[in-house]
Amino acid sequence: MRYAFLVAWREFAENAKTKGFWITILIFPLLIYASITVSSLLEKAKPVRNFVLVDGSGELEGAVDQALERLHERKLLGALTDYGRKNVRMPQGEVHLDPEKMPAIDPAQMAEKWAGDNAEAIDEFVREGGLSSALEGLKPYLKEDAPEFSEPKRPFRKVPLPEGIDSSGTPDQIAEALKPYLRGERSITVEGESEELFAAVLVPSDVLEQVLRPGDVRALDPRNERNGIQYWSSNLADEDLKDEIATAVNEEIRRREYENRGVDPAEVTAVQRTHVPLAALNPKKQVGQEAVSMADQIRQWAPVGFVYLLWIAIFTIAQMLLNNTIEEKSNRIIEVLLSSVTPGELMMGKLVGIAAVGLTMVGSWILALVGILTWKSGPETVVVNEILGVLKSSGLLYLFVVYFVLGYLFYAGAFLAIGSLCNTLKEAQNMLQPVMVIMIVPLMTMMFIPKDPNGTLATVLSWIPPYTPFIMMNRAAADPPMFERVGTLALLLVTTALVLWLSGKIFRLAILRTGQPPKLLELVRWVRGA
Amino acid sequence: MQVLELERVSKLFGDFRAVDQVSFSVKEGSITGFLGPNGAGKTTTLRMILGILKPTEGRISVFGAPSALEVRTRIGYLPEEKGLYKKMKTWAIVAYFATLKGIDRRTSKKRAYELLERYGLKDFADKRTEALSKGMGQKVQVLAAVAHDPEFVILDEPFSGLDPVNQQVLEEIVRDFAARGRTVLFSTHVMQHAERICDRILLIARGKKLLDGSIGEALATIPRRLVIESDDDVQPLSALPEVVRMAASNGAPGRWELELRESADPQNVLRECFKRGIRLRRFDHSDPTLHEVFVRLVGPEAREAAFR
Repeated sequence: MRYAFLVAWREFAENAKTKGFWITILIFPLLIYASITVSSLLEKAKPVRNFVLVDGSGELEGAVDQALERLHERKLLGALTDYGRKNVRMPQGEVHLDPEKMPAIDPAQMAEKWAGDNAEAIDEFVREGGLSSALEGLKPYLKEDAPEFSEPKRPFRKVPLPEGIDSSGTPDQIAEALKPYLRGERSITVEGESEELFAAVLVPSDVLEQVLRPGDVRALDPRNERNGIQYWSSNLADEDLKDEIATAVNEEIRRREYENRGVDPAEVTAVQRTHVPLAALNPKKQVGQEAVSMADQIRQWAPVGFVYLLWIAIFTIAQMLLNNTIEEKSNRIIEVLLSSVTPGELMMGKLVGIAAVGLTMVGSWILALVGILTWKSGPETVVVNEILGVLKSSGLLYLFVVYFVLGYLFYAGAFLAIGSLCNTLKEAQNMLQPVMVIMIVPLMTMMFIPKDPNGTLATVLSWIPPYTPFIMMNRAAADPPMFERVGTLALLLVTTALVLWLSGKIFRLAILRTGQPPKLLELVRWVRGA
Repeated sequence: MQVLELERVSKLFGDFRAVDQVSFSVKEGSITGFLGPNGAGKTTTLRMILGILKPTEGRISVFGAPSALEVRTRIGYLPEEKGLYKKMKTWAIVAYFATLKGIDRRTSKKRAYELLERYGLKDFADKRTEALSKGMGQKVQVLAAVAHDPEFVILDEPFSGLDPVNQQVLEEIVRDFAARGRTVLFSTHVMQHAERICDRILLIARGKKLLDGSIGEALATIPRRLVIESDDDVQPLSALPEVVRMAASNGAPGRWELELRESADPQNVLRECFKRGIRLRRFDHSDPTLHEVFVRLVGPEAREAAFR
C-alpha cells in the first residue's frame, strides 16, 4: 500500500514541476481576467466617430440629434448607477439576497422591462437636473476614497461639412465631394485638431416621399441602390452609428406616420408598455412558496454545469493516464518498477497520482473563477455566494463527488488497459476511437435531459453504466425515483469493479510486451489464460 | 545458504517454450554468470526469478520465499532494456528507486549523492537524466539498482553499451559488492566479463541449461590446444600420449595444430621437441577461453535458431 502511495506521489510531484502544469493552471484565470479587462479597455479606447449630417429636407436632423442625446443620457445614467454602487457607503452591513425569495428570471420579460422603464427613468433623470444635480445628491453618501466621476465619452460626434463643399447639393454631389475625406486621404479639422471623417449621413430633400409603406411596389425594385438616406463610410465593421441613425430616423418617421393617421404617439407608447403579468409556479413546492424562485432555476440547471465539469475532468485525467502509461512503457522504465512494486500497486499509484494532478488543475480553475468574481465586482458576488449556498444545501456536491469517483475509476481503468496494450500514442488513438464514440453521448444529450428528466431517453441511458454518472447527475434536480437512483448506482459499482479487475489483468500481462497490440479475440484468450 | 533455487522451471508463451525445465541454485556470496546467446531465455528466466513473470511449470524460491516480491527489499534488479525518467533529476531517480525498496526518503537522498559521487557522477547529480550520455545513464541505473544495499543483485546485460573504462568500473562495483558478502547474478553474452569475475557460470541456450559449474569446470570441456610451427618433421609428436590429434594448419607454412588430452601438460610436448631436435619457430599454448566454450556448446544450435 505504501508503495502505491510512493508511486502516486512521484507522479504528482514530477507533474507539478513541469511547465505545462503551471501553464494550464494559470491560463484559465488569466484568460478570464484578460477577457474582462481587455474588452472594457477596448471599449474605452475606441476613438470618437466623427460624422457629417446633411439633411436636405430639414425634417430629420432634429430627430437624429435628439436620439443621440438620449443615447448619451442612457449611458450616463448607467455610469452613474455603477459609480454609486461602487463608491457609496452601504448604510446597514452586507446586502443579503435570498434566492428562495427572488423571483425567477425570464429573459423576455426582463428585456421588456428594461426597454420600458428605462425611457421613464431617463426622462426623470433629465427632469431632475441631469448629471450635476445627481452628483450633488450622491455627495453626502460617498466613501472617503471615492474617485471623481468621469463622464463617459460620447461615441459619435456630429461635425460640420468641410470648407468648400456646398450643403445644398444632392446627396450624390455631396458624396463625391466628401469621398477624399471618407477615404482618409484628407482630414477634417475639429476643435483645432485634425481628425478622420468616419461617416457621412446624407438625407435627400425629398426623403419623406421616399418612405416605403407595406404594399409599396417600389420596395421590390432592386435597382434602387441609392434611394432614401445615404450612409457613406469606408469602415464596414463598426455599424453602431448606422444602426443608431436608422433607429432614430425610423422612430421619427413612424411618429409622424401615427400623427398622419390620427393616432396619438403618446398613446402608442402607453399601449406598448401594457402587459399582462405571468407568474411561474411550481406544484411540488409547499403552499405559500409556490412561486418559482431563482433558487429553483439554479437547482434545475446546475446539474448541466456539473455534468459538463464532470465530463471534462474525467476525460482530461484519463487522457493523461494514457499518455503516462505509454511513455513509461516506451522508455522501458516499467520493468525495473515491476521488480519493486506489484502491477496492482503500480496501477493504483497511477490512478491516484494522476487523478491528483487533474483534480488540482480543475480545482484551481474553480477557485480562480470564484476568486476573480469576488475581487472584481460587488453585488454580483453576493449572488454567487448565494448560488454556492444553494448548491451545497441541495446535496448536489456530494452526488458530484460520488459520481466523479466512480466515473473516473471506470474510464481510468479502461484507459489504463488501453495504454498498457499500446506502444505508441498512435496505436492508442486507434484503440480509443470506439471509446470516444461512447463518451460523446453524454455531451450530446446534456441539454435535453433536464427538459425531460424522467422520460424514456433519460431512464434508459441511466441504466447504461458508462453513462450513469453523467445522466444521473443531470437528473439529480428532478428527483428521479429512489429505485432508479440506488439501482443504477449499484450497477455502476459492480461494473466499475469489474472494469478495474479486468484492466488489472490486462495491465499485468500487456505492460511488458512490445509488438502489435492483440486483436479483441486474442485479448479474450489472454485474459482467460492468465 | 541458498539465496536462489530453481527447480525444473519452464515458461511457455502459447506453444513456444522460452524456458525448458531449468534447474539451478545460487549460493550466498557468490558471483554467478548467466550466459547464453540472444533469445536463449535468460531475460525470461530472470524475470521469473523476480516475480515479474510467473513460471508455467516448476518452482522458484528466493531467500526461501516462493515469490521475490515478498523479499523485494533484499533484491536489486537491473533490467535488460534500460530506461530512465527523462525529466527527473539524476539523484532523484536513484533516491526514488531506493524508496520503492523501503528506504526512507532522507537516507535515500543521502545514499544517492554518495553513490553518484563515488562513481564519478557528482557533477551530474542535479541534472536531469536527459543530460546524461548513454554510458552515464547506464551507470546511474546500476546505482539505482543497488542504492538500497540489497543482499542479492540481479543484473541483466549490465555491460552492454558501456565503453571499456566504464566496463571496468562496473566490474569494480560488482567485485566491491561480492567482497562484502553479497550475492550477484548477472547475465551477459560477452564471455570476457564472465571470465574475469565469476565464481560460477550457467550456460543456457534455446531455453535449456547446457552448463552449470565453476569456470574451471567449464574450461575443461574444451580440449587444450597447442599450435606449433616448424620446418622439421613433427610427425613423431603425434605418438605422444598427451596428443589426441594433430593436424596441419593453413595459417602459415609449417604450422600444426595439436589437440591435447584434458589434463595434459604442454611442457611434455616441448620437452619431446627438444629431445628430437625439432626446431620450433612458434610454440603457442593458449588456455581455452569461455568464448570457445560458448561457441562450441552453443554454436551450431545458435546458428540454426532464428535471430531473436
